[in-house]
Amino acid sequence: MNTYQDLFGLTIFYRRLRGLVIFSTIVLMAPLVVKGGYFMEVLFLCNYYVVLACSWDILAYTGKVNFGHSLFVGAAGYTAAVLNLHLGWGPWLTLPIGGIVAGLFGLFIGTVTLRLRGPYFGGVTFCFAMLLYKLLCVSPKTLGGEEGLTGVSPLMSSLLGNYYFSAIFMLAVVFLLYFVSRSSFGIILRSIGENETASEGSGINTTFYKVAAFTISGTIAGVAGAMYTHIMMNASPAMAHEALGSLVLMMAVVGGMASIIGPIIGGYTLTIINEAFRFMGDLRLLIYTGLVLGMFLVAPKGLYDIFIRVFRRVVVRT
Amino acid sequence: MNSDLLNIQSISKAFGGLQAVSRFDLQVKEEDIIGIIGPNGAGKTTLFNLMTGFIRPDSGEVLLKGENITRLKPFQIVNRGMSRTFQLVDLFKEMTVLENMMIPCFSKRACRQRQEICPPGQKEEKSYIAAMRFLETVGLADRFNEKAKNLAFGELRLLDIGRAMATQPDILLLDEPFSGLDVADTEILSSAIRKMHQQGQAMIIIEHRLREFLKLVERVVAIVFGEKIAEGTPQEIMNNRKVIDAYLGDTRE
Repeated sequence: MNTYQDLFGLTIFYRRLRGLVIFSTIVLMAPLVVKGGYFMEVLFLCNYYVVLACSWDILAYTGKVNFGHSLFVGAAGYTAAVLNLHLGWGPWLTLPIGGIVAGLFGLFIGTVTLRLRGPYFGGVTFCFAMLLYKLLCVSPKTLGGEEGLTGVSPLMSSLLGNYYFSAIFMLAVVFLLYFVSRSSFGIILRSIGENETASEGSGINTTFYKVAAFTISGTIAGVAGAMYTHIMMNASPAMAHEALGSLVLMMAVVGGMASIIGPIIGGYTLTIINEAFRFMGDLRLLIYTGLVLGMFLVAPKGLYDIFIRVFRRVVVRT
Repeated sequence: MNSDLLNIQSISKAFGGLQAVSRFDLQVKEEDIIGIIGPNGAGKTTLFNLMTGFIRPDSGEVLLKGENITRLKPFQIVNRGMSRTFQLVDLFKEMTVLENMMIPCFSKRACRQRQEICPPGQKEEKSYIAAMRFLETVGLADRFNEKAKNLAFGELRLLDIGRAMATQPDILLLDEPFSGLDVADTEILSSAIRKMHQQGQAMIIIEHRLREFLKLVERVVAIVFGEKIAEGTPQEIMNNRKVIDAYLGDTRE
């Protein structure tokens, strides 16, 4: 790094972008190597969870921990299912509308709670997600009650189509996160995470930025939830369950909070672990917990940190 | 209305049974440089917090350029032209020095000011270039890519002062800017303050270390237990009986 202009110049922008381009190529080429319906489905799940972890991570830049990301997924998933089943609207309408509904949830909860400092925000997000879960469980016939809604029309006609749709969506979100992290918006979000008082004392409307980040985060998670509903062809209360919220949280934390590679690594790792230990059922929670504890002891900044260290060592050696 | 830049009218604040600030008045005109002295716990920092919206006063009003800013939020007050530094400097530690300085350059006020000075037909100055300009004024330009947590304490303090300056305030509040600084940094800061004063920057400075400070300011306000006990030139304050009793006491050499 020679001069400060370089920091905001195009050279470094492209240099960092290169890694993302390589990653995109791998993701888009994967179906050539991976055969079989089951593995394709796992890869789809990876894309889905990476989207959720990345969208969760946008708010993490401000240092706020959202315990109820499943709220967005559930709200948008049910919106899509209801619109599709009762009004016959296709995915091209239900996905954006699901996103908007989730975004409005984010806007509302954010406006109410993000003005407060301290741990209130995390608690409220947790409660709202549980509330939605319980409401969906006892909901009337039109919402399917505990069984949920089935018979939603599929997103694409083939498994490969589903994979590519989710892959392109995931890559778009990753690139968005990359641009956000380098924009003034991203720098301001980080400053709020570091020291909200000083940020506010520098003339920044911190509440506005936090609510904006939460709304964007919710919108993306909502689109992902609606996508999931169409691909799985059903919506169940489990989509709003806290288990999903904490899984997404763990993905971002294990991968490395407030980074771009972090949620990607975390999303892939935990999805694959989740699938590999499927025979253990709910006991998998023990593995996650152990993993998170180990993570905090070995690499508090997340797998991302280990990744970077190994990467540097390899690059230096060659 | 009067033409004071800042007019504080009888503000009071109590924390439980403790009267931190009581019926405090202060008028600041353009280009004024005012010092506030007082022993520990006299309510000096509380006063700054009341003025900048971090704490709401129980009673009284703060007028900035004739506008009542008592109920505004801190960022709104900054954007109306009053910025402060913090006694306990704690900036954006994991961010680089340049990024630290960019945050105030993103404020509404700084953006507006960049637009105003921009010649028509040209692109306005980028925020990171503006940030670099302010780093130069506090002498940290060569450390732009260092993380803030790696700075020495004195440098951090200078960065915080630069941060407040970068919001382009009409009136700048410095909360114990000299505490913890070594001789060299004190010199840098003193000359920076003198230079700002020559450019017409109005300032209020809270300080403990009287020696540097009394040479810089034109008017001094002494407070004890949240009450103003004296106001005058540095000379008058040094010879004021009440101030000597309450604060200077036998520490005066």
